[in-house]
Amino acid sequence: MNYQLILDNFLNPPILFFFLGFVAVLIQSDLEIPTALSRFFSLYLLLAIGFKGGVELRHSGITLEISLTLLASIIMASLVPLYAFFLLKKSFNVYNAAAIAATYGSVSAVTFITATSFLNDVQQPYGGHMVAALALMESPAIIVGVALANFYRDRSGQTKSKREQRSSLRNVFKEAFSNGSVVLILGSLLIGILSGEKGATALSPFTEDIFKGMLTFFLLDMGLLAAKRIKGIQRVGSFAILFGLAVPIFNSIVGLGVAWLIGLSVGDALLFVVLCAGASYIAVPAAMRMALPRANPGVYVPMALAITFPFNIVIGIPIYYYAAGWLLGS
Amino acid sequence: MKAVKRLEIIVNSPDLEEVIEVLEQLKIAGYTIIKEVVGKGERGIQDGDGLTNVFTNAYILVACEEKQLATLLTPLQELLEEVGGVCLVSDAYWLIN
Repeated sequence: MNYQLILDNFLNPPILFFFLGFVAVLIQSDLEIPTALSRFFSLYLLLAIGFKGGVELRHSGITLEISLTLLASIIMASLVPLYAFFLLKKSFNVYNAAAIAATYGSVSAVTFITATSFLNDVQQPYGGHMVAALALMESPAIIVGVALANFYRDRSGQTKSKREQRSSLRNVFKEAFSNGSVVLILGSLLIGILSGEKGATALSPFTEDIFKGMLTFFLLDMGLLAAKRIKGIQRVGSFAILFGLAVPIFNSIVGLGVAWLIGLSVGDALLFVVLCAGASYIAVPAAMRMALPRANPGVYVPMALAITFPFNIVIGIPIYYYAAGWLLGS
Repeated sequence: MKAVKRLEIIVNSPDLEEVIEVLEQLKIAGYTIIKEVVGKGERGIQDGDGLTNVFTNAYILVACEEKQLATLLTPLQELLEEVGGVCLVSDAYWLIN
């Protein structure tokens, strides 16, 4: 194992700023980033990564490998919530189990973006189609999670709340696919494909030059958020903490196996693994609140944000990269 | 000045649309909304932090006549029982301009 890789990642400015945010909360500093600004940063990152992915996808075209990767992405995003739900059902009620399962089946766009920054630093190329995989993996887990909750609620004879009666599968689909982050990343991808190299040159100061600075500032905010959500972890118990650490590791191993089967490059494999190992804290809470109001975001958001996200960006990414290099050849 | 009933409703931000639906269905002429409200209630702290609106509340101020209030309370109570939140009712005077 190359420990230098972990150390280099640790000393990367975005990661150090993440820790700065974390420490600021722990020492009760009044450091704060206005909510509107942090939403702006997240929208910027989705736009930039979607656009760059679209431009690169225009270069590469749609190959068999790309089609297989996208198909595998949808399958993974549908299977993870299934097995996670049955693990979780023993320790949580049906609603929280379904919401956590959906959280871990869906993806963390920020972890993905941090991984692309890591790949740029180690000068490892990756395909623009991985952004399409990111967008495709946001929603299936939400649908599977809601379907599981509905099935087990009906089977246990619990009555539907009024909102659950109104919330048909069609509405869940609409909520899952019309989510702002999904629309922005798919839209930016499409604009990148349409505008190509000319568009990329025109937007380069916005999507390339300031990208790492924006990511750094955003990770400072994520550090603040993660540390604040740590308090919620005390309420959810030790099983949730174990789950938040073990599931990304397990999913990353499965993801690595799938990447090997498809024959992905090291860069694409890392991004695929990161997508499998991440947990959503943007798209899923909004959708769950509408479809499963009895699920408590105070349980599933801290698990994703305060446990899985820091683990993935600090230790996970360099380990996954090392494993991908070892298995697939760097 | 006209005597009215003042309703102050606080709900989780994603539930705001349903409160508005109730008000619109009962033909409430107007209301005021303050978004991004934070506080603490039976479901814990709503600190406004995060990239999603599930940790923020919305505040809705409604002034209505007493007869409208009677029709409004039942659907509002049903909604709040399901999604949580607060509804305060008090007497007020409307300065008609």
